Amino acid sequence: MIGYFSKVYKVAAALVTGHLITLKYMLKPSITIHYPTEKLTPYERFRGALTFDAATCISCSMCVKACPSNCIALENAVSEAGKKVAKVAWYSIDFGKCNFCRLCEESCPTKPKSVWHSLDYEVVFASRDEMVRCWKKDFPFIGKYFDRRTQDFKDPEGQVCIHEVPPRRS
Amino acid sequence: MTAPKPAPAKAPLPEPVLNRKNGILMADRRWPTDQWAHPWSLPGYRNGALMLAGIILGILGGGALIGELSKWGDKLYALMAAFATAKGISTVAVDAVWVAIKVLIVLHVILVNGLWSIWWERKISAHIQSRVGPTYAGGFHGWAQTICDGIKLFLKEDITPAAADHWVHALAPAIVIAPCIAAFAPVLFGTDLAAARLDVGTLYVFAFAGISVIGVVMAGWASGNKYSLLGGLRAAAQIVSYELPRGFSVVPVIMFAGSLDLSVIADAQSGYWWGVAPRWFVFYPVVGQVAFLIFLIASIAETNRTPFDIPEAESELVGGFHTEYSGMKWSVFFLAEYAYVLLASFLLATFFLGGGGSPLPWAPFTLVPSWIWMLSKAMFMMFVFLWVRWTLPRLRVDQLMDFNWKFLLPWSFANIAVAGLYLAFWLK
Repeated sequence: MIGYFSKVYKVAAALVTGHLITLKYMLKPSITIHYPTEKLTPYERFRGALTFDAATCISCSMCVKACPSNCIALENAVSEAGKKVAKVAWYSIDFGKCNFCRLCEESCPTKPKSVWHSLDYEVVFASRDEMVRCWKKDFPFIGKYFDRRTQDFKDPEGQVCIHEVPPRRS
Repeated sequence: MTAPKPAPAKAPLPEPVLNRKNGILMADRRWPTDQWAHPWSLPGYRNGALMLAGIILGILGGGALIGELSKWGDKLYALMAAFATAKGISTVAVDAVWVAIKVLIVLHVILVNGLWSIWWERKISAHIQSRVGPTYAGGFHGWAQTICDGIKLFLKEDITPAAADHWVHALAPAIVIAPCIAAFAPVLFGTDLAAARLDVGTLYVFAFAGISVIGVVMAGWASGNKYSLLGGLRAAAQIVSYELPRGFSVVPVIMFAGSLDLSVIADAQSGYWWGVAPRWFVFYPVVGQVAFLIFLIASIAETNRTPFDIPEAESELVGGFHTEYSGMKWSVFFLAEYAYVLLASFLLATFFLGGGGSPLPWAPFTLVPSWIWMLSKAMFMMFVFLWVRWTLPRLRVDQLMDFNWKFLLPWSFANIAVAGLYLAFWLK
């Protein structure tokens, strides 16, 4: 009989404890983020979309060699005298191939880095052309893409804006 | 010795353009870890306060529908009767119209309750699970989400499976909802505020609430699906079993009040012990609390809600008896479920929490109209229903039956015996 009542008491106490826990959690603010209106800033070492600075780049092709998925291509600029200079004529990253491994950024010898991962995780490609980002002189860090249908460079449409670009690591 | 050359003025560091956003330096940004480190934040409290305000506004808004209309009831009836006598129409016609009006009002209580309680359940369940629930529809905490979902359900295709028994399949939702609406006839919404005053109100409510299980079994059978059939049979076993402790737990209340009439039961709880403590049946030592708990548990089981939701049992039976239903037929099942929750809440408030009586005998509390008290108590009980649902996991079938037949039923019998002793020696 004592065992029966102690069991009833234990079960009832356990139920009350559980209900108090859920009540406590109900009164606590929720931990979820309302994504389109609230956005989390990723950690500093987050590997977001790649960005590139054509002014800093010395066109050494280290990133091209380091890239395991072979998504980077570049071409040296040529001076008026016909000599190669340490600048890129164009630089392109195929985001269809990129696997966000940061090897290109690690291999980049310039200070600050001329190719680096931004914190931007909102990258959307509406067409296949958009996946190939291209940089030339005076192009923004997020680059442009070459639309084969209209034969001109366009700003990426899927990527509305880069919310955070971390300080470039030196 | 020449004076040391003054150090050249340092050029100001270039503005860090890249790591700025909206004029905030990246270094000043709060990282996700900072955000999670202080969960008891000010915006959280602000949202909580808004949430509470929403709940209270919902209670008052829903109550105003019943309470404010009731003030005009007698005047309207007198007007109609005077009109009938002037035109020489029989009073039966007046009564028929009058009953139709009351039915319409009670029907809207059930329908509005569907909108309100589903939204409330979503919010409560979300906050219990540290989520936020519907947020966008309607602006204020997603209040219009249920309306949007209702429109969606209206527009959904109404599918009848090829293996189904067509007539029974179509009839089942109606048989579930019709007794549920009928059971609301004697339910008190305030002191003497009910659609019909029945001498056998308690019996009537329990009798009609018991009919719905036929609809559930019909739905399970007619779906032509073995999981639906299992769900329907489980529902039959469970609801029929839990009818017993549910009925017996009310017997002490009926013994104390000396009547089956709901308004007599509510009036029997008026008055205060030592001028402070309300004489509600839930405060009668031991008997009241045991009866209250048994009635609450049995009511949760009757409405097929989570600790006892084996008829639906999403993870075992794919939704049970309403697996093969879609669109409005499906939503009628849900409307019936929430209507039964509301019914149980009002019954709990009437039987155990003093109906429309004020909990304290002093002025600001006693001036509040009875329907506000009634509705507040019912909504509190509905909150308990939701709270229980989102806290406890599902019971197994044998545990469910053990709990009913070996625990609730014997204790409800013992409760009746103790209530008899109270009547013999204490209450006279």
